[in-house]
Amino acid sequence: MKFGLFYELSTPRPFTTENQRAVIENAIEQTVLADELGFSSVWCVEHHFLEEYSHSSCPDMFLAAVARATKNIRVGFGIGTCVPAMHSPIRWAEKAAFLDLLSNGRVEFGTGRSSTWNELGGFNAVVDDTKRTWDEYCRVIPKMWTEERFSYEGTYFSMPERCVLPKPMQDPHPPLWVAVTAPGTEFDAADRGMGALILSIADVERNVPRIQEYRERIKRCEPVGAFVNDQVAIANWLYCHPDDAHAKQRGEELIATFGYMAGQTVEVSEAYPANNYSALGLLGSLRPDPNAPGDAKKPPASGLCFGDPASLVDTISRWQAAGADHLIFMVQAREHLPQADVLESMRLFAREVMPHFSGSSRKVAVGA
Amino acid sequence: MSGQAELLYGSRAAAEVALAATPFDATANDTVVVADAEILYVLYEMPMARALERLPVSLHPSVPALLGFTFVRAAGGPLGPFTAAWHGIACRTGIKPRHLVQGAFCDSERVSEFLAARYGFACRAAAVTLRETFDRVRGAVTLDGDTLIDLAITDSLPLVGAGALIKYSPPLNATTLGDAPTLVQFEAGYDFKRVLRGRPRLACFDASALGDAGLAPTTPIAGSHAVVDLHLMPARFQVDLVTPAEAGGARKIAR
Repeated sequence: MKFGLFYELSTPRPFTTENQRAVIENAIEQTVLADELGFSSVWCVEHHFLEEYSHSSCPDMFLAAVARATKNIRVGFGIGTCVPAMHSPIRWAEKAAFLDLLSNGRVEFGTGRSSTWNELGGFNAVVDDTKRTWDEYCRVIPKMWTEERFSYEGTYFSMPERCVLPKPMQDPHPPLWVAVTAPGTEFDAADRGMGALILSIADVERNVPRIQEYRERIKRCEPVGAFVNDQVAIANWLYCHPDDAHAKQRGEELIATFGYMAGQTVEVSEAYPANNYSALGLLGSLRPDPNAPGDAKKPPASGLCFGDPASLVDTISRWQAAGADHLIFMVQAREHLPQADVLESMRLFAREVMPHFSGSSRKVAVGA
Repeated sequence: MSGQAELLYGSRAAAEVALAATPFDATANDTVVVADAEILYVLYEMPMARALERLPVSLHPSVPALLGFTFVRAAGGPLGPFTAAWHGIACRTGIKPRHLVQGAFCDSERVSEFLAARYGFACRAAAVTLRETFDRVRGAVTLDGDTLIDLAITDSLPLVGAGALIKYSPPLNATTLGDAPTLVQFEAGYDFKRVLRGRPRLACFDASALGDAGLAPTTPIAGSHAVVDLHLMPARFQVDLVTPAEAGGARKIAR
């Protein structure tokens, strides 16, 4: 089992220079500590126009800063949006390869397509095409990395023969991942031989069949890259404290803060009915439904890592048994926790929890 | 920087929120099913500042701010034939999206009374139409010969499989429960039989005639036309007008 950090760069109002800089600087300080403590990866989202929830519009720049401030920790796009109105696939190939050189071969390349009207509407993107454009991007980007010169005539993207530069450091290229939120996307990841970056923060038990089906299906994959990345990473939360009740209380506060920010956005499925967005994305899936019969407060998901070290060892053991290879943690929400508390939580986790899982990683992916 | 965060609330004083004249009746406990009802649902963006001015402190806006239009038509059934329409600003309390109704219309006195007592709608009597033609589905509201709202969806495509449904944000109506002002949530279930999605076309939105010159739809998002069995359930949730959204949220109506 490997452990990483996951950044939305959520930012409190008002959006002053001080507040915005503090979020970025605190996050980088956390990644430097994570590198020293033996965490394996840092992931950064790409989002646009998501007020408070995520001011991470340039993950490549954040990850470049992290890469230069750290030595070993891997740097992951979590994810790069594969929508023509936002990015050409050429630009993704260039940015990821450039970061791979800058980081001495530490890039993980996650892909996705956005699930909010804020973003797709803001860029005037063709909502109905995002699944297909994502698929096309996944197929051409690895070739841009591995072929000296590349040309392509496709449905949503075409280019004459060019040498896409630079080429990545990792041979043959950085591992490929897919953001998995809507049910069924794990199949899309498996079919293409890509890692599943599961972002639906939920119970361990609910993810067991999902991971099992992914494992079975990827055995028959037709990889879009030069190798199969059959890893499963689960986005999660972390707050570790000697007092279990205190840790869980702080965890509830983080979830509530995150929920407030997530609920503010407009999910595609709520605004633009489309066959390729029939399920809520991560943000929408976090919304408790007060219309549910009984109107009872939902218990926290069973797999969240809020607690004292002993309870986290138990929780993570269940994730490990479920087949997860990585847990990647959000450690902050809109700077709700003091930075010192976040850092101390990470130190305690590294000191008393991580040793229980050292040496138990599945060796699966080339380049990972 | 940790501590109390600045949040995005509506700013309208509770006393400035117009309440429906007909008090909400919390005693209704049956479900009325209207078979083969048609629903035209269209979303536009609107300026955030104008949304914030119209939402009470108990509601957050959506980001971006949205203005939603709903037309409902029944050719017959337990309530008789009717066409009703309402428009509202997307909002949330807790984190579920809803629409705070800014205006409602109905061509049936019986249904107006039903909607008022059941859900707090303050429907104005008007000629309300919802028609599907070869190239569009059009909804219109006409009052004393003047068109107030005239919109349509065109270039429609069928939605199929798991996507053949619409996630309607439930309307909230400002009304009174007992003697207290409150927001009552429309409660309905939908069995979808056919769903189309189309491109919104707004031919007329006479904000001044609607009584709020500042209400302004801007960027069209999408519209849908659905044929459903509409289950009109008893209202279950109310929202405070004054408790800040983070401390309030929807709560069950006491019966």
